[in-house]
Amino acid sequence: MMAWYIEVDQLSKTFPTATGLIPWARKLGRVERRRVLDGVTFGVRKGELFGLLGTNGAGKSTILRIISGLVSPDGGNVRVGGFDASTSPAAMRRIVGLCCTDDRSFYYRLSARHNLEYFGSLAGLDGARLRERIVEVARAVDLNADLDRRFDSFSSGMKQRLGIARALLGDPEVLIFDEPTRAVDPAHAAAIRSFIRDELIGRHGKTVLLATNQLDEAWELCDRIAVLRSGRIAVVAPPSELDVRAGAPLRYTITIDRNEPELFDRARTLPGLVDLQIDGEGPSVRMDVSLRAEPRALTELLRVVSANGVCVSSVRPHDRRPADIFADLISGHADAR
Amino acid sequence: MLAEVRMDALKIRATFVRDARLMMSYRLVFLLDWVAIVASVASLWFVSRLVPASVAFGGGHVATYFDYAVINVAFLTLQGAALQCFENSVRNDQVYGTFEAVLATPTRVSLVVLGAGAWAFTLAAIHIALYLAMGSLFGLHLDRVNLATLALFLILAVTATVPVGIIGAATIVRFKQAAPTQTIFGRASSLLAGVLFPISLLPLWLQAVSWMLPITHALSGIRGAFRGASPADSWPDLVWLAVATIVLLPISLVVLRGAIARAKRDGTLGQY
Repeated sequence: MMAWYIEVDQLSKTFPTATGLIPWARKLGRVERRRVLDGVTFGVRKGELFGLLGTNGAGKSTILRIISGLVSPDGGNVRVGGFDASTSPAAMRRIVGLCCTDDRSFYYRLSARHNLEYFGSLAGLDGARLRERIVEVARAVDLNADLDRRFDSFSSGMKQRLGIARALLGDPEVLIFDEPTRAVDPAHAAAIRSFIRDELIGRHGKTVLLATNQLDEAWELCDRIAVLRSGRIAVVAPPSELDVRAGAPLRYTITIDRNEPELFDRARTLPGLVDLQIDGEGPSVRMDVSLRAEPRALTELLRVVSANGVCVSSVRPHDRRPADIFADLISGHADAR
Repeated sequence: MLAEVRMDALKIRATFVRDARLMMSYRLVFLLDWVAIVASVASLWFVSRLVPASVAFGGGHVATYFDYAVINVAFLTLQGAALQCFENSVRNDQVYGTFEAVLATPTRVSLVVLGAGAWAFTLAAIHIALYLAMGSLFGLHLDRVNLATLALFLILAVTATVPVGIIGAATIVRFKQAAPTQTIFGRASSLLAGVLFPISLLPLWLQAVSWMLPITHALSGIRGAFRGASPADSWPDLVWLAVATIVLLPISLVVLRGAIARAKRDGTLGQY
């Protein structure tokens, strides 16, 4: 059995929808609740970079806030590093660093250094160790030259990078990032991604949970991705497998050396074939095929079209864009696995 | 255990430094507070010239109105700090957006809220010192102070009024709007706690209400300390404040904990 470092088990959460006294009174105290999470279960290995994807309101941030101890679940359980969120919340918060990249999560009238001093103290650091750590984390996010500037003079990207620096202060085992590159310029976004992948994961062996709406970022960074749909996990898989798990047809361009209508007719009877278009004559015939995402569909097709001495000169898969795969996943093609 | 206490002390110190830095970033407000104190003491001195000394101001001993009023107004700032600091701290953190970031650290919520008192009470102590220093320039008598009595009443004045402030903070966490504690206790104290005139002037039923306010007993004890009264002389007020502390403090912490648990369930911890 796999030993998960972060275990999320059957997590469910509803939020009240009615606010204020009048709606409350109208419903005689029975406040309606909106379901945000419905039996969410997944595990994250130690040292893994795990992504959470989903449309707005799918429940990504709620999961992160539950793991950070800011929201209590209605049901289910969360364990991090062996600590249970319901019975050992303080111990859990010691090994979890939440990277709030909200512009409004710092004291505007204090400098970056003074902000980090305060949050570092709350993380348990003191004296010389705190001062050294502030310089280390500021250097890591390229803010060491701006430490003594007031927070309200920072750009959005700098504020976001300071949020990352704050999460790193206590050197937690688990880092939680909620859209870490949302307002960051492309150069710094690339630097942050490289920092997360190479430094946090590669060099320090941290476990990272990343919620993002940047699909390319998730595909580039994550070892595995969980896609949330209507408060449930639609699929959990490495990015390379999400295309197959999306259930949408896989497209290939196959080049063969001659046009054999009889073979094409036989190919069209294959159960895995969705579409077949033939283009060209003579020594270079191009077949554009769409196949169901089934394990032997391509093998079967190649067996059929290469009969009668026909030579297959190339098979080129069409990589689908993450946005297309994501659209398929959230539209309900994928099996919940 | 010791390490945990030390860690909590470091976190309270960090909160103290944060609040001091934030306050100092509003230098004009900081300076205007001091100007207001000077103006307040001067006003009381002018009023006192119209009011003859009386036993009503000295708990059976003849005392001047100036001594009576300056001591009351000065030490009323303790109640102001207790009522406002926790509520304001939570409210400000919600508005700044820092509340969730603070609570995501390995720090107890009660420590986060109570830590806000460190700077507030230090500032209140500075203000009281300024009131007394200014008062002495205008003739306030500080030569008979019983320090033991004063220390006891200062501690109990804080501990008996802090629960009201904590309940105010819990109200902010739960309902996202200010509790009426500041209005009720703040305004009522000016009228009912004998700040500007002795409560013996009030109708009997209002005197009964006055008796129920912690600040009435705190100010009565503190005035006694400035007259040289020993703790034994002021035992009824001491007992009242001690009982209020023992009863109200745990209740207020339970109320705060409940408000935070509810806000976590509703996902509204950082909302305002």
